[in-house]
Amino acid sequence: MATREIFENRLQAGLLLFPTMVVSAVFLYYPAIRAVGLSFFQASFGRDDAFVALDNYARLFTSGTYLDSVFVSVLFTAVVVAGVMAFGLCVTFLIHEVELGKSAYLIAAIWPYALPPAVAGLVFLFLFHPTLGLVTSYIEALGVTVDWFTNGPQAFVVVALAAVWKQIGYNVIFMTAAMNNVPDSLTEAANLDGVGRFQRLMRVYVPVMSPTLVFLVVINTIYGFFGTFPMVDLMTKGGPAGATNILIYDLWRTAFQFYDFGFASAKSVVLFVVVGALMYVQFRLSDRYAYYGG
Amino acid sequence: MSSVATLPDRLGEYTEQMVAETGGDTRDGLVERLSLHALALGAVLLLVLPVVVAAIVSTKPTGIVTSVADLVPGRSGAANYRRALVGLGFWRFMLNSFVMAAIIVVGKLLVAALAALAIVYYRLPYKNLVFLVVLFTLMLPVPVRFVPLYRLVVELGWNNSFLAITVPYLASATTVFILRQHFRSIPSSLVETAKLDGVGPLRFLVSVLVPMSRGIIVGVSVIMFVYAWNQYLWPLVIIDTEGQQVAQVGLSLLRGQASSGEIAWSMVMTGSILTLLPPLALLVAFRKPLLETFTLQQR
Repeated sequence: MATREIFENRLQAGLLLFPTMVVSAVFLYYPAIRAVGLSFFQASFGRDDAFVALDNYARLFTSGTYLDSVFVSVLFTAVVVAGVMAFGLCVTFLIHEVELGKSAYLIAAIWPYALPPAVAGLVFLFLFHPTLGLVTSYIEALGVTVDWFTNGPQAFVVVALAAVWKQIGYNVIFMTAAMNNVPDSLTEAANLDGVGRFQRLMRVYVPVMSPTLVFLVVINTIYGFFGTFPMVDLMTKGGPAGATNILIYDLWRTAFQFYDFGFASAKSVVLFVVVGALMYVQFRLSDRYAYYGG
Repeated sequence: MSSVATLPDRLGEYTEQMVAETGGDTRDGLVERLSLHALALGAVLLLVLPVVVAAIVSTKPTGIVTSVADLVPGRSGAANYRRALVGLGFWRFMLNSFVMAAIIVVGKLLVAALAALAIVYYRLPYKNLVFLVVLFTLMLPVPVRFVPLYRLVVELGWNNSFLAITVPYLASATTVFILRQHFRSIPSSLVETAKLDGVGPLRFLVSVLVPMSRGIIVGVSVIMFVYAWNQYLWPLVIIDTEGQQVAQVGLSLLRGQASSGEIAWSMVMTGSILTLLPPLALLVAFRKPLLETFTLQQR
């Protein structure tokens, strides 16, 4: 039987793996472990680190600001994930169903993949600017006063819109691939049964696409927690009154505005647990659905 | 499932027949097709319009656009872009971003190709463990480790240098993973031939694997460029001299100046369009290999 393992020399293999291993160890594993260690210390500039055991974690659970930030983060991420996936699925399906101009629609739908989050934030900041914004006058014509520089819920919505916009492209890329993998026979059988378009999407395509959709829920959740930092930084600075103070922004402020490195490390550890749990879910679920791809 | 596999042809004929028999159906069909196009067009317009507005604003003298009637391109385009690049020094941010992204793309590819070569083509003990150690780094994104990473990089004396914003990115689980998937799809008979010819590992990589992986290499490069170009948090933390700053954080400097009234908002949109163009151009130019690489990653 033919094998791919044509080389034997272990020293060579070690040398080939060396750059990846060194960079991973020094810049990925070591800082991650240091974060756990540092979370038991009070640490800042110009002072020696002082061991404080679990104080930082105790502070986490008694800090109103932090608990608010947890709540805001979870809600924000849920809204962004739901928004991205609903809109992404609709766009993907529409492009799947049209016959003319498919590739033009596709490129017009996936381009936000290249959109820098900072640009997404600035464009929405400008479009919805309370005094200068192009969209503002039209919303105000509906009887809503646009004042999201002081109104928390409004700020939350505007930042979420920018976050959804940026993430659509990535989702459409994966959803299109998954939808194209649905066997034609299923589509034809559904048509024969007189199943309407929308029913066909929900009852036939979505179940077959479920491994991809699970993968996207995980990726979008990580994006909601971390990838939206530039938008928050540029649009609201976490405000007004903490309404958009997501965990990563709160963490950055603790570390680089208050220089409270120990407390910030405890917050990093919490985020690590979040990523770990998500990745675990992803591996478990996609294993269960693994038979789809063949 | 086997009976379903034989169905499509017959079903195709059957549906054609139905359409032909019920002549009135075609008009409804046309209306339905047109409304599908209208919906699809509406959806992609929602995605495209914000950036079109930004592009128009970037050609205006001040950027005051409060109604749709104001959405005609202004005459200050050239002047705005010149002012942003030269007057406000945005060229420096762009150049820094290019250098950073180029080093990350080339470095990641090189480092990951060597690792994937070892993982796929060497007989090794604990190979799965090695691969797991690489994959596990996916759970350690910048946000969960940037506080100690900041201390480490400062201790190394790398802050405000390209080393700080490139070296920590060089190990790439995603790239190793994609290359490994692709290498494993190369027929092993071909690999055997190379072995019989007594080709060394590096020759094998350069003259067999690389030519067979062109599309994937282009796709991965675009993915990595977009990733590197769009980095915001880490450069914000580790770079505090303006001359070394990257375009993303340069934008936040423009935003501050606009809010304090030092520059017009049209300048912020000019900077935004400049920052968007390089990754967008790559996406449009290389969409085919990019999409193929993503589909591979999905399997």
